[in-house]
Amino acid sequence: MAATMDFEDVRDKLRKWREDKVRNSTETAELGEYLLANYRRKLGDEVWPLFEQVSIASLDCGKLSLARLCIHAVREQFPQSSRSKRLHGMLEEAEGDFESAKETYEEILKGDPANGLVMKRLVAIHKGKNDIPSAIKELNKYIASFMSDSEAWMELAELYIQEQDYSKAAFCFEELILYNPHHHLYHQRYAEILYTQGGIDNLEIARKYFAQAVKLNSNNIRALYGMLLCAYHIASSSKSTAKKKTENTKYASWAKVQLDYKYKQSEPKDEEVLGEMFDRLAITSGN
Amino acid sequence: MAELLLDTNIRFWVVLPIVFITFFVGIIRHYVSLLLSSQKKVDLQKVSDGQVLMRSKLLRENGKYLPKRSFQMRKHYFNDEETGFFKTQNREPAMQNPMADPSMLTEMMKGNLTNILPMIVIGGWINWTFSGFVITKVPFPLTLRFKPMLQRGVELASLDASWVSSASWYFLNVFGLRSVYSLILGENNAADQTRLMQQQMAQPMAMAPDPAKAFKAEWETLEIVDHKWMLANVEDELIGNTPYPSDVYVKNKYQ
Repeated sequence: MAATMDFEDVRDKLRKWREDKVRNSTETAELGEYLLANYRRKLGDEVWPLFEQVSIASLDCGKLSLARLCIHAVREQFPQSSRSKRLHGMLEEAEGDFESAKETYEEILKGDPANGLVMKRLVAIHKGKNDIPSAIKELNKYIASFMSDSEAWMELAELYIQEQDYSKAAFCFEELILYNPHHHLYHQRYAEILYTQGGIDNLEIARKYFAQAVKLNSNNIRALYGMLLCAYHIASSSKSTAKKKTENTKYASWAKVQLDYKYKQSEPKDEEVLGEMFDRLAITSGN
Repeated sequence: MAELLLDTNIRFWVVLPIVFITFFVGIIRHYVSLLLSSQKKVDLQKVSDGQVLMRSKLLRENGKYLPKRSFQMRKHYFNDEETGFFKTQNREPAMQNPMADPSMLTEMMKGNLTNILPMIVIGGWINWTFSGFVITKVPFPLTLRFKPMLQRGVELASLDASWVSSASWYFLNVFGLRSVYSLILGENNAADQTRLMQQQMAQPMAMAPDPAKAFKAEWETLEIVDHKWMLANVEDELIGNTPYPSDVYVKNKYQ
């Protein structure tokens, strides 16, 4: 594919991906390899950011030889730069040599203690070794300094979920909601964590957040299901008052009507299956 | 007043050379300042403080989407009398005095060197070289008060103030070529002296907000924030008027 495209087109495409931080690694690696092999001189100074882009893409695909080539070239040109040292560290990580990668990163941090990217690579090392508790510890250290990094909070939430520490994961999702209060997916996932934790109070709050997710995006089927399940469980629990029961059956039936409608719109033949599922739900909610 | 006829040589040998000189000096100044500029060292503490303030601000603004308990927990973390973040973190007041802080002093000196000094030197040299005659006439009438300023070297009492000498043409170029610089060198180039002058006028403004004061201000604003849970009635709002699915607002983004 690359050979049939024009040099200009390929270069512009890669430039656009670089600026938009798009990460389709296989294509990037392939096109980048083609450019670097055949048009080194024409690229001029643009070759260095291109090297960086191609090295990260080839590390993603596992093309270690290509990555080694690019990173070696960058290091020769810019031996003192923390950017090139970070790339070298990433290569060591990909080769499995975590100890020397850690040393490389700590060296960079000594020179530049505010380098957030390198601190995140240290977390990645622990993840690579599948040592989730130390990854969590390292990430907490990072977040203590860089509190407004929503990507980091997201990652921390995922790590806590892996460790099944749901209360802390809920805390992280609350942070994410703070930073993006109108993003329906954050509300939905927060509600799912609360639902997993269980307990009537949590279920009530979860139901509210599911409702908020539906309010923000009424195409969110998961949130509709969540609302349905929460309402069912609260309505059928022995601890809820009559008022709560009626309220929740109302919510549950509303959610059911919405789901029926949505499925009818997209997959008419699934209607029977859906009907069966709902019947089964009604039967088992007798606790 | 009298319409003077100027020697056409003036056009070739004075007007155009001054334009070229100003232009090239500007370009040279830009590249020299690029060479002299040093890497700014980022202070982890300052970055972290900025982020904390941002987080607190977001808590204030979006806290109403969190359950009450979570909001109280975070407010407590920031504002508590004994253990709150804003109360217990003491920061050194930021160094404001440029004379005492060596790195800022060199920064200032470099800025002065690359911008003001050449302007004075070149202006003086042009004045000395191209003295004794008027260059051009500005299209609008000027009062007599401008005469000594704009007509250096030409001591004619009866000459219209609109006729100006080379020094004023030089200054006109300095300001006028600013847009040409942004075309050629891109925005934010160091050849732009007028921006520097504006910066110097605005310098009495604080440089980095003093962390201790910022924390105190943030503490006060967070204290007065009350938590009114937005989601208290969300289901009723959602269901309230929409018993039928066709009434629910659907975003048809992907259809």
